[in-house]
Amino acid sequence: MSNGAVKQNIGNAKSIFGDYLIMLAAPCFVAFRFYGARSLLVLAASVAAAVITDALGGLAVSRKADIKDLCSVFTGAAVALMMPAGVPEYVPVFASVFAVAVAKFPFGKSEKLPFVPAAAGFAFVSVCFKEQVFTYAYGSEDKVFGAESLGSMLLRGSAVRVGTANAFDLLVGNVAGPMGTGCIILMLACAVYLLIRRPKALLSSAGFIAACAVMILIFPRVRASYITNLICELCSGSLMFAAVFLITDEATLPKKNLNRVIYGAVCGIFCMGMRYMGAYEETVCFAVLLANAVRPVFDSAISNMPKTMKKAPEKEVKPHE
Amino acid sequence: MNKNPSFKDILKKGALIYNPVLVQLVGLCPVVAASTTFVQAAALSVAMCIELFVACFAASAFLRNIPRWMRVPVYFLIGIMFVCPVLYYFETYSLINISLGMKIYIPLTAINSVVAVHCEQFAVKNSVRLALYDAAASGIGVSVIFLITGAVREILGNATFAGFAVNIPVTLRGMTLPFGCLILLGFLAAGLKAFTAKYFPVREEKEEAAEATAAEEVPETNPVPTAEEFASSDLDEFLKTLGIEIPAEEDGKK
Repeated sequence: MSNGAVKQNIGNAKSIFGDYLIMLAAPCFVAFRFYGARSLLVLAASVAAAVITDALGGLAVSRKADIKDLCSVFTGAAVALMMPAGVPEYVPVFASVFAVAVAKFPFGKSEKLPFVPAAAGFAFVSVCFKEQVFTYAYGSEDKVFGAESLGSMLLRGSAVRVGTANAFDLLVGNVAGPMGTGCIILMLACAVYLLIRRPKALLSSAGFIAACAVMILIFPRVRASYITNLICELCSGSLMFAAVFLITDEATLPKKNLNRVIYGAVCGIFCMGMRYMGAYEETVCFAVLLANAVRPVFDSAISNMPKTMKKAPEKEVKPHE
Repeated sequence: MNKNPSFKDILKKGALIYNPVLVQLVGLCPVVAASTTFVQAAALSVAMCIELFVACFAASAFLRNIPRWMRVPVYFLIGIMFVCPVLYYFETYSLINISLGMKIYIPLTAINSVVAVHCEQFAVKNSVRLALYDAAASGIGVSVIFLITGAVREILGNATFAGFAVNIPVTLRGMTLPFGCLILLGFLAAGLKAFTAKYFPVREEKEEAAEATAAEEVPETNPVPTAEEFASSDLDEFLKTLGIEIPAEEDGKK
C-alpha cells in the first residue's frame, strides 16, 4: 500500500473514531456526574492501558503503531464506560490490554478488524472477573433499586420491583449499573449525532433493537406489561450503548445496507437468547463477538444469493426424437 | 528429497517446522479441552506419545497392504487399545489425581487426528525406522505444546503449578476455558512462525529454488500481438509472429 493510501486510511479511521470519541464525551460526563472522580480514574487507567499496549505491540514487532487513528483510545474509553465505577483499576486495565493485544493488534489496521476490540475486552473480563464486573455497590446509595441492577433483577425474574419502577428513572440511568451506559436518553442523542455523520451505520442498530424488541415481545422475562418489559430490557446493562457504539463499528459491518440490518438483527437475537439462557446479566458483548464471527456470511453468502438464484442453470428439455 | 533422513532432520521438521498442533493444526481438540493443568497435560503427553509410537509402528510394519478406508479405523482401534490402559493406570495406581478432569477426554485423546495424519501421510509410506523417528518427533512436538499450554493455563488460571501454589496477584479464570487456550495457541503459533522464519527458512529456500528452476525451464514466448497488429496482418504473418512456420505445400497436392 502506498504512503498516500496509508495516510488516507488513517485519516478515515481517525475521522470515524474521532466521531465516536466526541459521542463518548457525553457518557463520560454523566459518569462523572453520578460517580465523581472515581469514574475518571477508571477511564484514565483503561485508556492509558490501551494506548500503551498498542505502542508496546508496535515496538515488539517493529511496526509503527497506529495510535493516531484513535482506535485504542476509543477502545479503552468504551471498555471503561461499560464497567461499574467501583471496579478495581486492574480490571479495566486487563480488559483494555486484552482488547488491544488480542483483538486489535494481531489483525493489523483498525479498518480491517474482524472483531470489535472493546467487546472482546469486556467479554474477557466478564469471564475472568465476574464478581468485580457485575457488582454495582459503589455510589448506588441514592439509586432507585439501591445496589441492585436492572440486569440482575431481570435475570432473577423479579417482577415486583421492576413493575414498580418509574420509567423516567430508568431512561435517565438513575439505577445501579455500568457507569457510562445507563442514560438511554443520552444514547439516543448519540444515535442522532451518528445519524447525521454516518447514517448507514445505524442500519445495524435499527435491526438490533428491532430484533431485541421482537424477542422481548415473544419471550418476556418478567410478568409485567410489554412496555415495562421493553423499557427494562433496553435500559438494562449496556444494550443501548452497544447498539450505538459497538455494532456500528465500520470495520465489522457488512457492505450492503440490507445485510447490515440482518447483521444487527442476528446480533439482537444472539443477545436476547444469551440473556434468557446464559449465566451473565450482560451478554451484549458476547453477542457482538458472535455476530462479528458470522459477519463474512453476510458479505458472501447472502449477497451472492440473488445472483446464484438468477444464474441457476436451466435444464434444456430436448424434444423426443 | 533426502530418502534417508537422520533423526535430527525428522525431529527438526516434525517437532518444530511442521509442529503438529501449531502448524498442521491437528490434535487441537485434546490440547484445548484437556490441558487445563500441567499434570493433566503431562499425562496426556505420555498417552499421546505411546499411542503415536504404536500406531506408526503398526502402520509401517503391517498395514501397508490394507485398503485406506480400513486403515484409519484400525489406527483408532490401536489408539484406544493403548491409551485406555495408560490413562487407567494414571487414574488408579499412580499418585497423580487426574480422574476428575480426564474421564470425558479419554475418547478425544484416543481418537485424534495427530495419529491419523502421521500414520497415513508418513508411516505407511516409509520404513519402520523412519516411521518411529516421525512418531518420536511429532510426539515431542505435541508434548511440548501440551506442557506449555498446561503450565501457562494452570499458572494464570488457578495460580498453581503442578498443584503447588504460585504467588501471582491476579488469576485469569478465562485461561482455564477453551477460548483462553485457543488464544494462547494463536500466540504460540505466531511466535513459532517468526522463529522458524528467522532460523529455519526452509520454505523460503524451497520457493526460491522452485522459482529459479521455473525461470530456467520456461522458454521465452513470442509477444502476443495486439488487436490492431492482428487486424493489419494477414494469416501467414500472424502465424510467423507466433513462431509457427507452415511448411510449403507441394505442387502435386494443390
